[in-house]
Amino acid sequence: MTGYIQGRNVSLTFRPPNRAPVRALGGFDIDVEEGEFLSIVGPSGCGKSTFLSILLGLVKPDSGDVLMHGKKIGGPGSDRAMVFQEFGLLPWRTVAHNIELGLELKRVPAEKRRAVSERLVALVGLAGFEQHYPHELSGGMKQRVGLARALATDPEVLLMDEPFAALDAQTRDLMQVELLRIWREAKKTVLFVTHQIDEAIYLSDRVMVMSKRPGRAKRIFAIKLPRPREYEMRVTPEFNDLKLEIWNTLKDEIAA
Amino acid sequence: MAEQTILETTGAPSFAARYRNVLLGALAVVLFLAAWQAIFLVVPFNPLFMSKPSLIAAGYVDLIESGDLFNDLTVSAVPFFLGLCAAVLIGVPLGIVMGWRPRVGYALDPLMTVFYASPLVALAPLLVIFFGVGVSGKAIIVFSLSVFPFIFNACAGVRAVDRLLINVVRSLGGGEWDLYRKVIFPSVLPYIVAAARIAVGRALIGVLVGEFFAASEGIGFAISRFGDLFAIDKMFACILIVMVIAVVLTEGIRWAERAAFPWRAGQ
Repeated sequence: MTGYIQGRNVSLTFRPPNRAPVRALGGFDIDVEEGEFLSIVGPSGCGKSTFLSILLGLVKPDSGDVLMHGKKIGGPGSDRAMVFQEFGLLPWRTVAHNIELGLELKRVPAEKRRAVSERLVALVGLAGFEQHYPHELSGGMKQRVGLARALATDPEVLLMDEPFAALDAQTRDLMQVELLRIWREAKKTVLFVTHQIDEAIYLSDRVMVMSKRPGRAKRIFAIKLPRPREYEMRVTPEFNDLKLEIWNTLKDEIAA
Repeated sequence: MAEQTILETTGAPSFAARYRNVLLGALAVVLFLAAWQAIFLVVPFNPLFMSKPSLIAAGYVDLIESGDLFNDLTVSAVPFFLGLCAAVLIGVPLGIVMGWRPRVGYALDPLMTVFYASPLVALAPLLVIFFGVGVSGKAIIVFSLSVFPFIFNACAGVRAVDRLLINVVRSLGGGEWDLYRKVIFPSVLPYIVAAARIAVGRALIGVLVGEFFAASEGIGFAISRFGDLFAIDKMFACILIVMVIAVVLTEGIRWAERAAFPWRAGQ
């Protein structure tokens, strides 16, 4: 293990006012390799999204360390960017201006920002929609903007928190294909949180299954399917064997 | 086949179809005025207490020819705009802080609610005593009536800010000031414009009340003086012009709202 991103014994308890504390993460360990596509699946509330927030730098763990390049994460940084489940687009900004948000916050001059947004609009397949507002876009297009915005600041790591969960099934399948294409072109490390085992296998180099709350790593599966991945791979015996094995690991953790 | 024909004819709407809503509204106004004029043919109202559209129109001609109407309106406009500007400048920041800092909100909310709910108009004589019969007294009445919509709406706007957007800006390296500029202020802006629609009406009441109590000029003074003189035609003329101004300002803001926030069209 290279120690690109490391989580060591990470614990976090939420203490909402007037309610019982919730132990989201309890002794969570993770190692992420540079350039890999790692998916995290786990039961609802197991703290997988919480870990992304910690890695993003928005939330501090109670104990344990999260390191990137051997350095502790102390807050948000331009080496990491998040794609949010509910898109998080600013409704009063056009597609182009939403994509440029991170660059604006870094005080990048306007011409340079425009050059970046033009390139990314093309990359995510939104050419012609630069001047549209989010309410004029479909869910899939909104998430393309979310992805382009995350890529705009050229981070090393993309954190994706159930990015396709709000999309319908067909759009989701299409977005997975698109994400793999963009990942191949942009060469980022991706941490992808999802509920869908199919999605995790299809996209990832490795899939981590988490335990129920307080979440910890239960088992990691290496996905040896060749790349580039074809849609047809989803119906091969290897794929289904993996799916069954991951499901069997996961199902004990799910309290229905 | 039949359906197709119908679809084709709806392609280019006629003048009447396009402005149907506006025409219906205008028609109602015209009918109202006609009915008002006509009722005098049936009921013999005492012209000292009641007027009719034709006489009011004649009153307008007098007021415009003498220049009194224009003069009174400009006199009243000064405290109106001063008070309203002060209400925006003080009400909006105060409301934003009340919304963004919960403790400030909890501390000030009861006080503001009491002031808002109380009949501030009843305090007008006192304000005139404190601040005199000039522009400042009237401006303060206008301010005290119109500031509350700005406070409450700005506060509600901040509380409705999407937390996700705050996290987005933070995660991309934005600081506290960026949050205000990129998320909070744009989120609150439509609430402020909505507040302005309410505040304009209250500000007009403020000017009129201020001038009823103590003034020697202004449209409110004109209304009360013509009333005292039983010059009912001119009094109605002045009241109607205030109504027209109120409608124009409120509708103007509504129109500006649609033009300024194209992203709200889908909401």
